[in-house]
Amino acid sequence: MKTFARHHLWLVALALLLLPALCAAGAPAGKTELVVGTGGDVQRLDPHIATNVIDITVTFNIFDKLVQRGQDSKLQPALATEWKRLNDNTWQFKLRRGVKFHNGEPFNAETVKFSLGRTLPTGDPKIMTRGTFLAVDRIDVVDEYTINIVTKVPDPLIPDRLAFHGGTIIPKQYFEKVGAEQFNLKPVGTGPLKFVEWVKDDHVTLEANKEWWGGKIAFERVTFRPIPEAAARVSALLKGEADIITRLPPDDVDRLNKSPNVMAVGVPLAGLYVLATNYKRPFPMDNKYFHQALSLAIDRQTIVKNLWRGQGVVPNGVYPKGNWAHDPNLPPLEYSKEKAKALLKQIGYKGEEVIMESTIGFFANERQMSEAVVEMWREVGINAKLEIIEFSVRAQKNRERSFKGIWFSDPIDTLLDPDGMVWRLQGPGTAQDYLRVPEWDKLMDEARISLNHAKRKANYDAAHKIYLEYLPWIPVIQPIESYGVQRFLDWKPRPTQDFMIQDVKLR
Amino acid sequence: MRQFLLRRLVRSLVVLWGISTIVFVVMRLSGDPVTLLLPQDATKADVERVTHQLGLDKPLWTQYLIFLANLARLDFGTSIHLRQPAFSIVVERLPATLELAAAAFVFAVAFALPIGVLAARRPNSVFDNLAMLLAAFGQAAPTFFVGIMLILTLSLWADIFPTSGRGRFAHLVLPAITLGAYALASIARLTRSAMLEVIRKDYIRTARAKGLSERLILWRHAFRNTAIPVVTIMGIQLGALLGGAVVTETVFSWPGIGRLAIQSIYNRDYAVVQATVFLTAVWFVLINLAVDVLYGWLDPRIRYS
Repeated sequence: MKTFARHHLWLVALALLLLPALCAAGAPAGKTELVVGTGGDVQRLDPHIATNVIDITVTFNIFDKLVQRGQDSKLQPALATEWKRLNDNTWQFKLRRGVKFHNGEPFNAETVKFSLGRTLPTGDPKIMTRGTFLAVDRIDVVDEYTINIVTKVPDPLIPDRLAFHGGTIIPKQYFEKVGAEQFNLKPVGTGPLKFVEWVKDDHVTLEANKEWWGGKIAFERVTFRPIPEAAARVSALLKGEADIITRLPPDDVDRLNKSPNVMAVGVPLAGLYVLATNYKRPFPMDNKYFHQALSLAIDRQTIVKNLWRGQGVVPNGVYPKGNWAHDPNLPPLEYSKEKAKALLKQIGYKGEEVIMESTIGFFANERQMSEAVVEMWREVGINAKLEIIEFSVRAQKNRERSFKGIWFSDPIDTLLDPDGMVWRLQGPGTAQDYLRVPEWDKLMDEARISLNHAKRKANYDAAHKIYLEYLPWIPVIQPIESYGVQRFLDWKPRPTQDFMIQDVKLR
Repeated sequence: MRQFLLRRLVRSLVVLWGISTIVFVVMRLSGDPVTLLLPQDATKADVERVTHQLGLDKPLWTQYLIFLANLARLDFGTSIHLRQPAFSIVVERLPATLELAAAAFVFAVAFALPIGVLAARRPNSVFDNLAMLLAAFGQAAPTFFVGIMLILTLSLWADIFPTSGRGRFAHLVLPAITLGAYALASIARLTRSAMLEVIRKDYIRTARAKGLSERLILWRHAFRNTAIPVVTIMGIQLGALLGGAVVTETVFSWPGIGRLAIQSIYNRDYAVVQATVFLTAVWFVLINLAVDVLYGWLDPRIRYS
């Protein structure tokens, strides 16, 4: 009997071990397929609705824009070959000739007018990129390959705005033929990759567009695989099942760099992780000195070192590194428990409760940072309390502007210009409009419609000083976004988190 | 028998109605989907317009009646997020989850029964102690921990199985072990204790006295008499596998209804959540029914009349 049992268990165990699972590590020779492991599945593929970071990883390769950014973040021609300002309120774009969509439909001024028209404030409310062209009055077709964008007030940033998701060009005829739902499931663009299939929660497969105007890319096929669990994502990379993985946890950076086959690459995010505050709540939340105290009490260096394993930068204000208005000469935001305590005493703070609302992982380390910050505040005598909320509750509070006090936000610097971050989210009537300081409004508003670069810089500098006095966002960290990559790939990530296939080369 | 089935069918319908109602209410109490559908800077008028389009401005009881009427036709409505019929979205994912649950169940039962029987054969032997220690571990260890450990050992170090995803048979092994671990442990433990009970019975002593072989006594005479509790726990575990699949599917990037359910809850995608929960409930009801029918077959003394 004993031998029988041993015999049988052994057999089954052997059978399990012998299962043919020949998953050899990716060999560069003859490599034609690139596999990208992402943190989750795409939600949408309609580029004007698909704005989350996983969506744009895919859509930015299916679709092109009129203008795009190079790896150096500078603007480059894309579907527009040249552009100029005709007068204060008119920008003219010359379009690339001979470009076709993946289904053969020709690219021309009509389709540009149609695409950008979707993004105008008058469009469908479900279009997520509707805030891109607030100043645009109309788009005129001059001839088949020329368009004029006419604005209500001067807008120096039109080419910049065209270079992100709001400026994506979609095929007019195809869209009108199949409708929005089908277009979302079977997108057609002009980009370097053509859509092949999307098996939800399993993979999105794209193949090279051999006729792409930008030239040949290094791969025949690109597959995006959602691998939500970080440990599984890292394992897939180490085993060669994935060639690039996104959202590499800071803890794994050193480990990957020690491996002979893979490595970690990172870039400071074009954006900040900030503590947003509801200035509309009563004392102490309405008090600017209280905000200064909150900021002084945060030991950002410790957060960067311990929670982020050094994968982050302590910000020196609200313009992140990479934004042209960022002033490298400003010192990092100060940490001083004594000064914080003194300010609290000065304003007569008597332990009024301050509530921080956090989700578990709206972005990396959110909850851990929230816990750390609340502890730091308690150390200087602030009666801070952490409440954990759920994603959709957070979204609802965001819309209703009903946060109880403080919450983490991750503003992204989409234009690498103050207009695309702090004004986009904290200007009058915007999503996080909790505080109006007329002087700041005036400086910011003038800067955004000025065509004089020196004046813009002066205004943004002056506005920044005022900002640091009120701190409606308390910047905490500019994180380094890390990715895991096979060593046989030559690739550098971009600060705006857009993954562009033309950047990826075989060594 | 027919009357029994009829009664059970009516009771099952009541259960399904109750579950659907609870999900309907809970989802609507817990958040608004429109907020998640529109850009941050959408105006109040936009919000109202979309709320109206989705029929979410109607009074709750009107929405509920519409929901019930559609439910009767198995129409769960359209996913507000994926903009396809919710039922077909869920049905599309069902094979992946069923495949995983079935594999996990087969794995669990194939190991649990021999382990349980043999452990009871020699209580407190080395094999028994080891088996029960492992079973305790299997029941106590969180699914995600087991999953990640399996990936690190059998996939990354031993290089036998792929780390994640669905595809070939090899892809199925680690998720099935992970998902089946808990069921294996509970079935093995229960089989062991049921066997211990039976082995002390007089008829086993009689069988021994007759000089039957140990194997015959163990499997034919003892094991068959543990069937009722063992089948019960197997039924419970088979149902639980579907729920446990949520974590396993996430760890192994398995494209099943567990992950769909999580994402839909985050998106407040009412229709998809309702369809998922409904199908899961149907699964439970069917298993319960199957277990009850099996009782009669296993033990002729149980009659349904």
